[in-house]
Amino acid sequence: MADLKSILSLLILQFIIFALVSASSEEAKEEFNEELLLKPLPDRKVLAHFHFDSRANLSTSNGGYHLHLFPKAIYQLVRYMNYNPCMQAIGNLSSYGDYRRASIFATISSSGRFKSFKARNLRKTIELESFIKMLDQTRLARINVTEFRLQYIANAEKLKIFAQPFHSQFSRVHKFHIREMELSFTQGRWNYERWGSFDPISSSNAKPPGVELWAVFDAPPPKVDALWKNLTHTLSGLFCASVNFLESSTSYSSPEWGFRASSGSLRYGTLPREAVCTENLTPWLKLLPCRDKAGLAELMDRPSIYRGFYHSQRLHLVSSDSASDAVLAIQLEQTLTVVLQPVRQTEAKSFKAISAMQPDWSLSSIFGRKVNKKCVLAKSSNVYLQLDRGLVSQMKNIWVKNMGTNPDDAAFKGAVRNPTFELSDAPDKVIKEVGNVENEESSLLYVFCIEKHAETKPFDLALTWKLPVVWSCSHAPLLANRFLVGSGNERGVIVISLKTINHSQSLVCTDTSEGRCALHINIFQVVPWYVKVYYHTLRIFIDGVIQPATNITTKMRVSPSEDKVSPGMLELALKFPCSMKSAALYLDFDKGFLHINEYPPDANQGFDIPSAVVSFPDFRSSLNFVEDSQPSPLMSRLQERSPTVAYTEVLLVPLTTPDFSMPYNVITITCTIFALYFGSLLNALRRRAGEEERLLKDRANRKLGMLPQILQKLLARLRGKPVDQHQQPSSLPSSTKHKLIFKVTLVALVAIAWHYYFR
Amino acid sequence: MPETSRMEKPLLGSLAETSGEVEELAAGESKPAPESDSESLDPSKMRKTKPGVKRLALTLSILICFLLGAPFLLKTVEIYRSPLPFKDMDSLSSSIESEPLLFPCQLQAVFLGFDDLTDAQQLGSSIADHMRKVAGDDRVCGSCGSNFNVSVFIESENDCVGSQNDGSSCSWKCGLLKHPYLEAKWKDDDLFDEFLDTVLLDNQKCSGSNGNVYSVVVVNRNEDVRVVVGKHRHGWITGKVSGQEAVVRIAEIFVNVFMNGGKEEGSIHGEFMPVGADGRVVLSFSLLNADPHDWIYDWDFQRVHESLLIPVIEALAPIANVSIESQILFHTPKSFLSHWDEHRRSYIFNTKDLPFFVNSNEWHLDTSIVAGGRSKILHIVVYIPSAKECPLLMQLPNGEISSTNSFISPMWGGVIVWNPSGCSDTSVGVHHSKRTIPFQDLQNIIEIFMGQLRQLFGLKSQSFYFGSSGKVNLLTSRSGFTKWELDVLSRQHACFNLQSCANTLGSLSRLVQSLPRMIIMDEIGKQVEYSLQAARLARSNASLGVYDDSAVSSRQARSLAEDAFFHPSIMSVSYYSFEHCFAVYSPFFLPVGLHVVLAVFKEWKRYKQEKSKYLAWKAMGIAS
Repeated sequence: MADLKSILSLLILQFIIFALVSASSEEAKEEFNEELLLKPLPDRKVLAHFHFDSRANLSTSNGGYHLHLFPKAIYQLVRYMNYNPCMQAIGNLSSYGDYRRASIFATISSSGRFKSFKARNLRKTIELESFIKMLDQTRLARINVTEFRLQYIANAEKLKIFAQPFHSQFSRVHKFHIREMELSFTQGRWNYERWGSFDPISSSNAKPPGVELWAVFDAPPPKVDALWKNLTHTLSGLFCASVNFLESSTSYSSPEWGFRASSGSLRYGTLPREAVCTENLTPWLKLLPCRDKAGLAELMDRPSIYRGFYHSQRLHLVSSDSASDAVLAIQLEQTLTVVLQPVRQTEAKSFKAISAMQPDWSLSSIFGRKVNKKCVLAKSSNVYLQLDRGLVSQMKNIWVKNMGTNPDDAAFKGAVRNPTFELSDAPDKVIKEVGNVENEESSLLYVFCIEKHAETKPFDLALTWKLPVVWSCSHAPLLANRFLVGSGNERGVIVISLKTINHSQSLVCTDTSEGRCALHINIFQVVPWYVKVYYHTLRIFIDGVIQPATNITTKMRVSPSEDKVSPGMLELALKFPCSMKSAALYLDFDKGFLHINEYPPDANQGFDIPSAVVSFPDFRSSLNFVEDSQPSPLMSRLQERSPTVAYTEVLLVPLTTPDFSMPYNVITITCTIFALYFGSLLNALRRRAGEEERLLKDRANRKLGMLPQILQKLLARLRGKPVDQHQQPSSLPSSTKHKLIFKVTLVALVAIAWHYYFR
Repeated sequence: MPETSRMEKPLLGSLAETSGEVEELAAGESKPAPESDSESLDPSKMRKTKPGVKRLALTLSILICFLLGAPFLLKTVEIYRSPLPFKDMDSLSSSIESEPLLFPCQLQAVFLGFDDLTDAQQLGSSIADHMRKVAGDDRVCGSCGSNFNVSVFIESENDCVGSQNDGSSCSWKCGLLKHPYLEAKWKDDDLFDEFLDTVLLDNQKCSGSNGNVYSVVVVNRNEDVRVVVGKHRHGWITGKVSGQEAVVRIAEIFVNVFMNGGKEEGSIHGEFMPVGADGRVVLSFSLLNADPHDWIYDWDFQRVHESLLIPVIEALAPIANVSIESQILFHTPKSFLSHWDEHRRSYIFNTKDLPFFVNSNEWHLDTSIVAGGRSKILHIVVYIPSAKECPLLMQLPNGEISSTNSFISPMWGGVIVWNPSGCSDTSVGVHHSKRTIPFQDLQNIIEIFMGQLRQLFGLKSQSFYFGSSGKVNLLTSRSGFTKWELDVLSRQHACFNLQSCANTLGSLSRLVQSLPRMIIMDEIGKQVEYSLQAARLARSNASLGVYDDSAVSSRQARSLAEDAFFHPSIMSVSYYSFEHCFAVYSPFFLPVGLHVVLAVFKEWKRYKQEKSKYLAWKAMGIAS
């Protein structure tokens, strides 16, 4: 008995342990991290970069459709399979041969493979498997179960009635087949010159103004367009934005290598004029488990973040969902990048000092809020303060000046109070960048764990400058700008200019394979169809001297625009000599005409040409920090060697806008001319000149009424002839007078009747 | 106008000679011939020559060309309208309005152990009479009305009589109730229910009834009267009952339970079925952690879905296409304050607080991608209160505490408040601990949800029914809905769907006919056609008594009708209006038409005048 008891207890214990283990593994499936990176910018602004990372690893074999932490909407976007195990497709064979009044029930199991198909007849039940077999034998239909779509092969006429309800039932069951997707809402333009163009934040979070959406689909190329259209509609509903305008084929393109490497399943579209505001942020925040109720998102005070100089809200989704994989891994990365101007506190400092000093700031002064508590659902919740390489070297100089000694590395790292600035809270960790070029300083990262800092009082990191510092950010080799040349409404020139920022320096050598130093650049440009670019007019100037394009371009892919069908797209791979100081690309274009109903409501404002993307494939910006085994999502994102990317300005092209009442004017004028011509022709045909003359003479012989007499007088005076005086009735006969009065009264009566009738 | 210009060319050619003739004629007319007789030939009264018809013919031919061209012009500016079967649409809506769908009901009563009853035929007609009395005149949509058929069998120790009324007869194989284990099965309702089901299934050979036969078995035994309705389509009465009493009870069970679903006044009306216009329902389960700083609860919804909810979905399949999704939300406080009750040691909220319970500002129970445009989403919210208002209990208007601690909102869904065990104990408050709702509790929650779902569908959630003649016990099924309840729902749904389909099609037909210049796409025509087809199928299925197939095709008919009505091309306002057409064509046709008509009028007038002159001259000539 005792044995039995112990065995039982053991079993129970084992069960408990098993349950615990399984529970813990369950928890590990979905996780959420929140991070905030703060960085003082050289031009007295502060960059705040929120990074929220949700990931889910779901095994699809045992269902796994019920999520705990990961947002449902995004999950359904990635994998929307109708997991209802008893999804029914009902088709009526109402006018189909012998199967009159039969209904078909298709049962699809939760794993997506079909369990059973049965057809129900009113009289007897027949198995659908045999029914399908029969259909297959007659080569009428085949059911593709993974697609839930009925394909009919032949004899479609007969099957129409049968297939239609099937289709309507199943057409909604689809997946978006997204492998990777990025949607960004941006306001303002990233200032590459001042805020840096060669660090991970600028190359992955500086986005073109308006909306940018790109997605890589996991589907065969012919289906991609349909998926893209579905996706745009869903996203526009999800984020309260007019992303659905990207649905039309004139607004998106499919770059192959100019934007990022893909195999024909990438679609890219931008809406430069989309206004971004809170209505886009609220649904974005809803995807976070704590929304803005707790954690770092608490800082997002709408007025202060929209008051900033730059605001970019981004959503990046990666899913490793394939039919063969049993595990579905989704990673959702939500970032919000804002550049804010700290409000300067007027303290008792001399004006000169204030103007030279960087402004002091704290979280509460730039956002107007503090972090009250950690989001308990987040695995980690950190705030980072990043100091640029330039700033660190300046700090070292100041240290040397003040202390007289070269700072000890460790001491420097640990110092909260250093001669340059002072922090309100002591960082939990200071991480130094490694693997940098020797003669440059490495940037520093101060790490603050919210969990520790916000335990007792709200976390409010403050930075107070003690001495004025001037530094500059790290830059990409070239700074890209784009502008329009030319005037008039007929034609113009697009110019993309590339300049080195430090005019004294020559470019960094990246490729010396052919004995010559070369710099590789990719340019990707989408142009709407009404701006008709002549791609053969591409001229490349290097340092003001024209160069044959063939010497510079290594690869080029052009898909010319098709009127009202597709935009023009240019992908260019260029190779510049390192000695170059500046380069410019010229492209001529004609301005097209739009149909009257294709003009937007404010047509006179002009039309936007989306930003061009300039990427430097050999320059990979990454910040390598020495860190413990598991870097946080933001850290791993910073360490990723991503190619440096820069977006140019959006161009505004004024097109000829018609007078929108023009069609009616044209119609009216044309019709009037036609009517005149026709009327006079008809008149000429039926006029009897002789008879009319005779009649006129007759009438002249007769007595004239007063009005015609006056008219005649007038006419005669105009002609300059004296009036025939041979007949001059002094007074009108009374009968004519009466007639006239009668006519006038009749007209007046009619007018009055008309007036009253229509009141 | 290429026709007119082409036509005018030869006319122009003839102009010269015409005018020449006219000149000649005019000259002849104008100056009186000196050599003619001195008779005064007044040119304004007489003429010698026949008046010419060339100009008249010309102007007339132009007018005729215009008139002939008008249909062509109208044809070219015509807008495309797919021909809709207006007659069928109107006849469907009027026929459904005038005679609501009546389903045939096949009823069967079996009397066991009644030695005094012999005339089955007469018993059957008396049951039918009673049923008519109970049912009254009101025709509830989806009921059988008076379209039922009662067959009665009387089995006693030595006799077995069956009423054989009309063609759709059922047969009852006698002697099966003399089963050896019957005595043991009497005790357990569920066992007896299953036993009766097998017996009845084996025995029912009812022609033309499609197996949907409702039966009541009356067993005359020496014990208290007990009335039970099982999970399938039958009920039984045991105990000491007289034949007359049994007839009354049977009639009541047939009418109030089997035909009307045991509904009472005040339950949700059939029109407010929570099924979307496309026949889909999305059950969206949300677990709301009011304040995750106190505790975070998780649930194993996957298991619940697989073990508890799938039977429900399958049961409801003919009525609606149900899909299920779940999510867990945090930081979702309710929007009113509850008060502390020292006596019950818990926080209490009243029924009058319920309108403020659902906090739409903080509860982001989103619409889902799964739900298409016209699907219905039912939100099932499991609310876990925060530590400062735990346990949270609902007080009923009569002062008692609700046993389910939950409420429903028709057409929206339901809220279930779940209090974590031992939450009132303040010492337990281990912060940020993640816990899982025990499966036992989840089962309770799902049970409550089942009750809510039944209520949302308009069924009662009690396990008994009080009729005028006594209490009827109702057995509950594992899937939440018994077969006869599903039949009731199917019938109601079919009826309501057909009504709404007929309504929609009727309005569509009126709308399309009232806007003669609206573009009607082919797709709409096709949808209407399919909808009519499905409606026809549903009606024929209904008349055959196939309830669920009828529900399925009526659902389809409704969804297609709605699709047609809400087709995007109908919704767009910018159709080619008559005013626009008039504005475009009037600058040409108004002046030209006026010219042409006036010319014809003048020419005709002149021709008549000249002809009369000529005739006068002729007459004068004859006279002279």
